[in-house]
Amino acid sequence: MPRNTVKLVSAEGYEFIIDYKAACVSNTIRNMLSSQGSFTETELGEVKFPEITTPILEKTIQYFYYKLRYQNSTTKNIPEFKVEPQIALELLMAANFLDS
Amino acid sequence: MMKRGGIRIEPFRHPVSMDPNYPDKTWQKLETAIREIHNKNASGLSFEELYRNAYNMVLHKHGERLYNGLINTLTAHLQEIARQIEQKEGVSFLAELKKHWDDHNKSTQMIRDILMYMDRTFVAQQQRTPVFALGLELWRNHVVRSKQIAERLRTVLLDLVHRERSGETIDRALFRSITQMLVDLGPAVYMDEFETPFLLASASFYKRLNKYEDLDRMYLLFRRVDGGLATVRTMMADFVKENGRQLVLDPERSKDPVEFVQALLDERDKYETIVSQSFHEDKTFRNALNQSFEYFVNLNQRSPEYISLFIDDRLRKGQKGMNDTEMEVVLDKVMALFRYLQEKDVFEKYYKQHLAKRLLAGRCVSDDAERNLLVKLKTECGYQFTSKLESMFTDIKTSRDTMQDFRSKLAEKNIDLGLELGVQVLTTGSWPTQTSSACILPRELETCCQEFNNYYLGHHSGRKLTWQTNMGTAELKAEFGSKKHELSVSTQQMCILLLFNSADRLSYNEIAASTQIPTNDLKRALQSLACVKGKNPLRKEPMGRDVAETDEFVFNDKFTSKLYKVKISTVAAGKEGETEKAETRHKVLDHNTIITEVTRQLAGRFLPNPALIKKRIESLIEREFLERDSEDRRLYRYLA
Repeated sequence: MPRNTVKLVSAEGYEFIIDYKAACVSNTIRNMLSSQGSFTETELGEVKFPEITTPILEKTIQYFYYKLRYQNSTTKNIPEFKVEPQIALELLMAANFLDS
Repeated sequence: MMKRGGIRIEPFRHPVSMDPNYPDKTWQKLETAIREIHNKNASGLSFEELYRNAYNMVLHKHGERLYNGLINTLTAHLQEIARQIEQKEGVSFLAELKKHWDDHNKSTQMIRDILMYMDRTFVAQQQRTPVFALGLELWRNHVVRSKQIAERLRTVLLDLVHRERSGETIDRALFRSITQMLVDLGPAVYMDEFETPFLLASASFYKRLNKYEDLDRMYLLFRRVDGGLATVRTMMADFVKENGRQLVLDPERSKDPVEFVQALLDERDKYETIVSQSFHEDKTFRNALNQSFEYFVNLNQRSPEYISLFIDDRLRKGQKGMNDTEMEVVLDKVMALFRYLQEKDVFEKYYKQHLAKRLLAGRCVSDDAERNLLVKLKTECGYQFTSKLESMFTDIKTSRDTMQDFRSKLAEKNIDLGLELGVQVLTTGSWPTQTSSACILPRELETCCQEFNNYYLGHHSGRKLTWQTNMGTAELKAEFGSKKHELSVSTQQMCILLLFNSADRLSYNEIAASTQIPTNDLKRALQSLACVKGKNPLRKEPMGRDVAETDEFVFNDKFTSKLYKVKISTVAAGKEGETEKAETRHKVLDHNTIITEVTRQLAGRFLPNPALIKKRIESLIEREFLERDSEDRRLYRYLA
């Protein structure tokens, strides 16, 4: 069953509904949604991240769209993806977890 | 964003890391999940949770624990699966295997997905086998190559192939999935479990059906693949070698040298046809074929002897209705075998002996064929190889002329020798060496020989004639009671028989004294004359198989035969006698002592092979010269 959107839920329970394409920037999420078996995520189109806080998840999602927008772009003027130093470490951990 | 500036940078929290039982607990959760996946019961599981557990284990340096746990769980699972598959038979065995294979693939993919973080980090850093490949490896080791499955799988697959070739309809889709599985498990698995046995089975199948066209198609097909023909060639060479090896080392085959060589010729014909009809006369295939033949023909040390015996058989008897052209074809084929021989000098030795016998006994069927073969040998091995053989032919021809001249000279002088003398003058050195053992010729013959001596030396000064009485033959007219027979005997036997013109009974020692025949030859000659039942012009007293120096011999006036002409064949001498000789002095010997003793006694003549001695011993047991000790099997007892 093809999906256009998926729901990502942060540790605090904040729900983000984003494009399926964007979510798939994370290999981990793509696997969760497309794995052979009928895991709950695949069935519900929803992934809960009990270890990722809302701001980190939000920033991550922003990155998904940023990546999607520019990864095949030919323009030389790709804007910088700004990361606030305070969240840099946590964001790095999340990126590692999500393989994105 | 700045409103959330209250968030401090602090070490990432791992709330579970404090628990010392953390790895065990986490692994248990994962293991349970893997079991659920194997049971096709994954729908209740949260991918994120499992992924996170695995992620945390690896992150906290429990990657090893996770990886080994996975191996153990998979192994246990697959062993169980293997047991389930084993219980099925035939096609449902394949179906079961395929079903579990599909399940295994699916579940391994899921496991790989949830353990993806481990694949990405731990496996990559530690250079382990990634999860999915690990799944294939374990499947290969515990299912496909498990003892109870591997053999069956091969048999069932080959059986299906065979059935289809015989016209049955088979489940091709199932067949394809299984072979695809073997391919997925790696080229080596496909080759070992299917391709190699399949090609062997195909080779023997097409060999039987002579489906040259199919082999031709195979050739064309494999030619398109890189290294394809090399594989076919190696397969063919291995097949030929193995079959050939079995052929030449089969003790049954060695019993009849002519059959042995005929079998080799047939093999060669068969493969030659395949190479020319199906493999487009491919030189590399022909080379491979020749190398394979060279390999196995030389595995049997007696091949040179057998090939010479085969030629002897053909040239001696001549095939009924075989004309020169056919003979030529046979000889050409035998020459091809000859080319494979590494020990051509051994062949020459035997060939010389066999040729000598043919020439001296006048049993060559065709002079042309003999010469023809000689030319072939000369082309193959050069002048040196055949010069002595050629000089043998010359001797025979010259002797024929000499005898004619000798007879006409006798007629001129009006001399009647009272018997027909045939002399063949042989050049020393050209003929197989025979220790000359002169014997005293009967007086009638002595005059003849003297006459010839005078004649020959009168024509050729400076030459020396030595009479090889151990090589000649004679035909005697004998009366047994009222019956008349013509006996064909050796010169030595003739000397013995002529003694009985003046006596009815002679002792061994009297015969020995009158003839001066050396002991071994004399015993053999007497054995031939007196111990072959139904064909004995003499009787031995006491009766028995062996001749002793205390025996006495009596003229056998009861001799009968349906035929007017009787050939007294000479009892085979050689190694048997030697084995016996070693034994008689001891009565009871153990196996090793016999081997040592025989080897010692024969050391002067040749080095006997222990296996050969063993064979001779077995033959002696068969003919009741020896028996095994009933208590100690290593002991042999001589039966007098």
